Amino acid sequence: MAEDLVLDTAIRDWVLIPLSVVMVLIGVLRYFVAKLMRSSQTPDAKMVKEGQVILRARNLRAAANFIPTKAFRARKIYFCNEENGLLFVPKGQAQNPQAQMFSDPNMAMDMMKKNLSMIIPQTLTFAWVNFFFSGFVAAKIPFPLTQRFRSMLQNGIDLSTVDVSYVSSRSWYFLNLFGLRGFFSLILGEENAVDDTQRMMQMGGFGMDPSKGLSAEKDNLDITQHDWALPNFEQRAETVLKKLVS
Amino acid sequence: MVAHGDSSSSEKKLGNGLNDLPTFNAENLQQNMKTIHYSRTFMSIIGGVVAGIFGFTGLKGFVLYFLVMAFTSIGLMAKAKFSVHSYFDSWNRVLLDGLFGGLMSFVLFWTFAYDIVHIF
Amino acid sequence: MVTKTEDNQLNRLENQVDNGGGEAWEYLCLVRKLKLRRSEKVLRHGLSILNDPKKRSSLGPDEWTLYEQVVVAAMDCQHLDVAKDCIKVLQKRFPESKRVGRLEAMLLEAKGLWDEAEKAYTSFLEDNPVDQIIHKRRVAMAKAQGNISGAIERLNKYLEIFMADHDAWRELAELYVSLQMYKQAAFCYEELIISQPTLPLFHLAYADVLYTLGGLENLQTAKKYYASTIDLTGGKNTRALFGICLCTSAISQLTKGKSKEDKDKSQVQSLAVKVLEKDYKQRAPDKLPQVTTALKGLTLSS
Repeated sequence: MAEDLVLDTAIRDWVLIPLSVVMVLIGVLRYFVAKLMRSSQTPDAKMVKEGQVILRARNLRAAANFIPTKAFRARKIYFCNEENGLLFVPKGQAQNPQAQMFSDPNMAMDMMKKNLSMIIPQTLTFAWVNFFFSGFVAAKIPFPLTQRFRSMLQNGIDLSTVDVSYVSSRSWYFLNLFGLRGFFSLILGEENAVDDTQRMMQMGGFGMDPSKGLSAEKDNLDITQHDWALPNFEQRAETVLKKLVS
Repeated sequence: MVAHGDSSSSEKKLGNGLNDLPTFNAENLQQNMKTIHYSRTFMSIIGGVVAGIFGFTGLKGFVLYFLVMAFTSIGLMAKAKFSVHSYFDSWNRVLLDGLFGGLMSFVLFWTFAYDIVHIF
Repeated sequence: MVTKTEDNQLNRLENQVDNGGGEAWEYLCLVRKLKLRRSEKVLRHGLSILNDPKKRSSLGPDEWTLYEQVVVAAMDCQHLDVAKDCIKVLQKRFPESKRVGRLEAMLLEAKGLWDEAEKAYTSFLEDNPVDQIIHKRRVAMAKAQGNISGAIERLNKYLEIFMADHDAWRELAELYVSLQMYKQAAFCYEELIISQPTLPLFHLAYADVLYTLGGLENLQTAKKYYASTIDLTGGKNTRALFGICLCTSAISQLTKGKSKEDKDKSQVQSLAVKVLEKDYKQRAPDKLPQVTTALKGLTLSS
C-alpha cells in the first residue's frame, strides 16, 4: 500500500528541493533584516533601573552564600522591605502595559516592527507556496503515522485514500518552518535561538510587565536561605595547601 | 566521521570549567551548555542525513537517532574526561539536554534525504 | 575578562605588528574588542593605516571606528593635535553625531578645560540621561581633578541607576579605599563578590579591607576570605598566604587568655607558612631568611 504511489522526479527537482532551499534562504534573509531593523532606542531611566535591580537581585540570590550573613541580611532588607525596598512594588501602582504602550508610541512601534518582521515574510512565503506548489504530494516521511496526522501532513490535498505518510507541499512548508530552527542556530549563531514558536507565544502576552519581574524576584529573594559557604573554604584551603606542601 | 564532527565542535569551548562542586561560573556553564546544544543539533542533522541516505524507515530511524544521541553523550563525556561535575551541574545536562529539540531537525533531514534518494 | 587564548592571540599579533608584519587592523580590532589600553601602539599603527589612503579605504565603514579609536588613543598619549585633526575629519563626515560630540568633549577634557567639558557632558546627559559612557566620563573627570569625594558622589549617583555594573562598583571600592573609608569599600567588595563569586581577586581585596578594619569578627571573616582566595587560586597567591598568617596571629592576640576554638584553625596557618617558605626557596632564596624570621615572629606571638 505504501509503495503504490509513484512520484515524478520532476516533483523532486521543482518542488521539494526549491521549497527547502527557499525556506533556508528566507530564514537567513530574515535574520539579517531583523538585524537591520533592530532599533537602538534609548530606554528611559526607570526601565533601565528596574532591569538593573532585577539583575543585581538575581546575582545576590545566586551568590548569597559567598558573603557574610550580616551583609546578606542588610541587602535582603534593602531589596525586600515593605516600605521602600527596591523590589517592592506598591499595589495599584503597577502600570498596565497596554496603557503604557499608548503613552509611548515608540514602544508600540518597536513591537510592530518585531511582529512585522516575523509575520510579513511568513505570510509571503506561505502565499508563495500556496500559489506555486499547491496540491503536490511532495514528500514521504519514512515512518508510519496514524490517521490523526492526516490534517497535519496532507494539508491542501483532499484525498482520504492516500497513505498518511505522504506529505503535501504545504505541509512540507510547515515541517521546514519548525524543523529548520536547529539548522539556523548552527549556521547563524546562537542569537537566532529565539524561535518562531516562542515568539508567537510572546505575542499573546504583548511584551512583559517589568513590575511583575520585580515582584517575582522579590518572592524568590524572600525565600532564599542564607548558608554562608566560607567556613568550608577554610578546610578546602587546607587540602589545597596540603597538596602543595607534600 | 560522526565522532570527529562532534569532538571538533566541542573542543574549543569545554576547556574552561571549574573544578569544584558548589562553585560554578555561570558564564562558563552557559558556554558549555551552548556547546552541548551545538553538538547535539549538529549530530541530529548529520544523523538525519545518514539515516535518509541509508534508507532507514520506521522504527529503525528512531533507533538510529537515539544511538547517535547516546554516542554524542559519550563523546561529550569523553571530552569532559568523564568528570561531568567539573563542567556541568548534573548528569542530566549531558545525557538529556537537547535530546528532543534535535528530534525535529532529525526528522526533517531524514525525510529530506530519504525522499531525494529513495522515493523518486 | 581576557581569556588565555585571547591573550596569546594578542601577544602574537602584537609581536607581528611591531616587527612590521601585516594584520595591524586585526590587532587594533582585538584591542578594541578586549577594551585594552595600549594607546601608544594603537596610535602608531592606527595612524599608519589612516595615513595610507589605499589601506584606509579598504576598511570601508570601519574606517570611522578606527578614527574614533585613534582619537581616544591620541588623547591618552597627549597628542592633542592628532586627536583634533581626526575629530575634524569625523565631524565633516558626521556633522550631527553625538558620538563625535563626545569625542570633542573629551578633547576639552584632555586640554584641561574642565568647565567647558563639564558643560558639554551635562548637555549630553540632558538629551539622554542613561548614557553610561558620559556618566563614567564625568566620574573620571572629577577624579582627574583630584576631587575624589566628588567622583564618589557621581559614581554613587550612577550606581543608583546602573547598579549591576560591577566595573563601577570596583572603581568605587578603590576610591573608598584611597580615602580610607573601609566600611564603604567593604560593601562595594561584597557587591563585587556577589556579581562574580568565583573571582579570587575580589575575595582577596575584601579580606584586605576587613583585616584593615580590625576587630575580632572582621578578622575572622577576613581569614575565611583569605582561605577562599587560596582555594580559588590553588594556593598560588602569596598575598593570601601572608594574609592567613597575619590574621591568625592577630586573632590569637585578641583572644589571648580565652582560647577556645583556635586549635584546629592553626593548621591552616602552619600549612601556609610551609607553602610560603617553599615558594620563597624556589623563587627568591635570598629573601628566605627575612621571611622566615618575620613568620617566626608571627607564630611566636600567637
